[in-house]
Amino acid sequence: MTTATQSTAAQPSGDPDVRAIAEHSPVLRWLGASGTWVLLLDITLILFFGLVSAHHVFWSSQNFQALALEASAGLLLALGMSMLLGAGLFDLSVGANLVLSSVAGAEVMQHIAGPDGTSNVMLAIVAGLLVCLAVGLVYGFVNGFIIEILHVNSLITTLGTLGIGSGIALLITNGADISGLPTQIQSGFAFRGIADVPLPALLALAVAGVLWYVLRYTRYGLRTLAIGSSLPSAERAGLRVRQHRISLAMLCGLLAGLAGFVSLADFSSTTVNGHTNDALGAITAVVIGGTLLEGGRVRILGTVWGAVLAIVLTGGLVILGAQSFYQLILVGAVLIFAVALDRFNFKRRESR
Amino acid sequence: MTETSGVRRVAIAGVGIAKRFGHVQALSNATVSVRAGEVVALFGDNGAGKSTFLKILLGIYRPDAGQVVIAGKAAALHSIRDAQVLGVDCVHQDLALAPDLSVVDAMFIGHELISRGLKGRLGHLARSRMTEQADQALRELSIKLPSLKIQIRDLSGGQRQAVAVARAVMWSDTAVLMDEPTAALGALQSEIVCDLTQTVAARGLGVLVVSHDLPRVLKVADRVIILWRGVTALDEPAAGLTVPDVVTVMVGAQKQAS
Repeated sequence: MTTATQSTAAQPSGDPDVRAIAEHSPVLRWLGASGTWVLLLDITLILFFGLVSAHHVFWSSQNFQALALEASAGLLLALGMSMLLGAGLFDLSVGANLVLSSVAGAEVMQHIAGPDGTSNVMLAIVAGLLVCLAVGLVYGFVNGFIIEILHVNSLITTLGTLGIGSGIALLITNGADISGLPTQIQSGFAFRGIADVPLPALLALAVAGVLWYVLRYTRYGLRTLAIGSSLPSAERAGLRVRQHRISLAMLCGLLAGLAGFVSLADFSSTTVNGHTNDALGAITAVVIGGTLLEGGRVRILGTVWGAVLAIVLTGGLVILGAQSFYQLILVGAVLIFAVALDRFNFKRRESR
Repeated sequence: MTETSGVRRVAIAGVGIAKRFGHVQALSNATVSVRAGEVVALFGDNGAGKSTFLKILLGIYRPDAGQVVIAGKAAALHSIRDAQVLGVDCVHQDLALAPDLSVVDAMFIGHELISRGLKGRLGHLARSRMTEQADQALRELSIKLPSLKIQIRDLSGGQRQAVAVARAVMWSDTAVLMDEPTAALGALQSEIVCDLTQTVAARGLGVLVVSHDLPRVLKVADRVIILWRGVTALDEPAAGLTVPDVVTVMVGAQKQAS
């Protein structure tokens, strides 16, 4: 390393080939990342909503717990989406996957625990969790298979499976939600926490930590980014691009299945009509956080801040008594601003 | 193969290669052979079959007829990975390296070094070892970079191509193929890359350069092979050839026996 660095110093000018931009300082890079600005915006909003809410109720631990729980499923979807976008793929079907997984999980739970949800509770919950994960995984595999083996564009593929998945879920349930699940799924998981942080939120943060590690330090993460950065160069380097992208689609599906279980635990019921905008919300959170839509760059921490932003705005507006529809407008504006800022930074860098 | 009885063994060769795409006979009877330690220039007009030939040597296409020889042995290639296993790698004219990766990561992609022990089971990259080896590989070719941690995006065109050459050399112990390595480069950067071909050959690798940059490549090549309409039209030492000689054969004005 040192030898490579000092060679620049040894040749101040003359050699035109030693003129690349030096590495940016960590502080500058931190300030240049859109995730940083989203974090600052999150903090500002939390301060603002706390100050203006009656008795600072926004800062109460109950409110934080409620918001954290609400954010969990969405964060899991956004994390899966980050990995996929990192390799240049989309998944519009994550919301439908969540619904279908939770419906399958709820059916199994109810079958084992009985209509009042009291017998074989532990077995029912574990079986329900496994079914959620399995359905999510298979859903992701189907997406990956269609994209990579049948060569259908990922937007079209998942637009198709979005319709198919939600249709199947509605057929199973006849359009009505399945409730009467074991209450322990709430008391033992969703409403339980460590130091006031709900377990589902901790779970989502743990997943974020694992994915951050994978992207930064492992071969799997490096190959994911290499594929997203330049597909032809990944193929020329001999990477098994198709297998890798199918595995990413399965990972995204698995996380959607997990989000399905979290959603079941949160509401103690399925929510078959509540997830039509989940995929767009996930993509928004991911892109606000600084992940490139074109692939090659993933910011896991930024994704967390992006997911927090949507929830803080929703919660804050509700507490202020404002129409929560303003949240849509604000998040939309932040999305465009974040991407525009990113483009600006990128252009400035290219033109240097 | 008969070529083994030479001064040095054949690093890579395609003998009597034919390849047809639909109604287009891209190659009908082309032979290109590169010995270890030799720089061979492969010239030809557009549509002469140079790219197709290169892709066959890399296992991207399979020939309809003829034989690929790598390290003196007949090789049946099914994918670019098969060629890599036999020690053959390629430098492409563009899109060669992923712009978002660091220099180190780009040089190791597909050949990553993994830590030992438990971390290794998780696929944890041994980045310090990777950095050391990348630094050494670059220094052996006298390639200077400000840092190995910066992204490929932040390198100049010449630096990117130099890194691509170093990468190819690092992972080949038989032959390096170069597909228009100077097409996207300025004059001085092209000189640097052309000089690199000789450095690489001096390490005992066979180097095959496909190029339109006749004067520069002619200067560094040991031998020149010209394809004309899918057939080998000329195979001679570079020493006696001038650019006009090459152009004459390239455009088919003076077709020699194949």
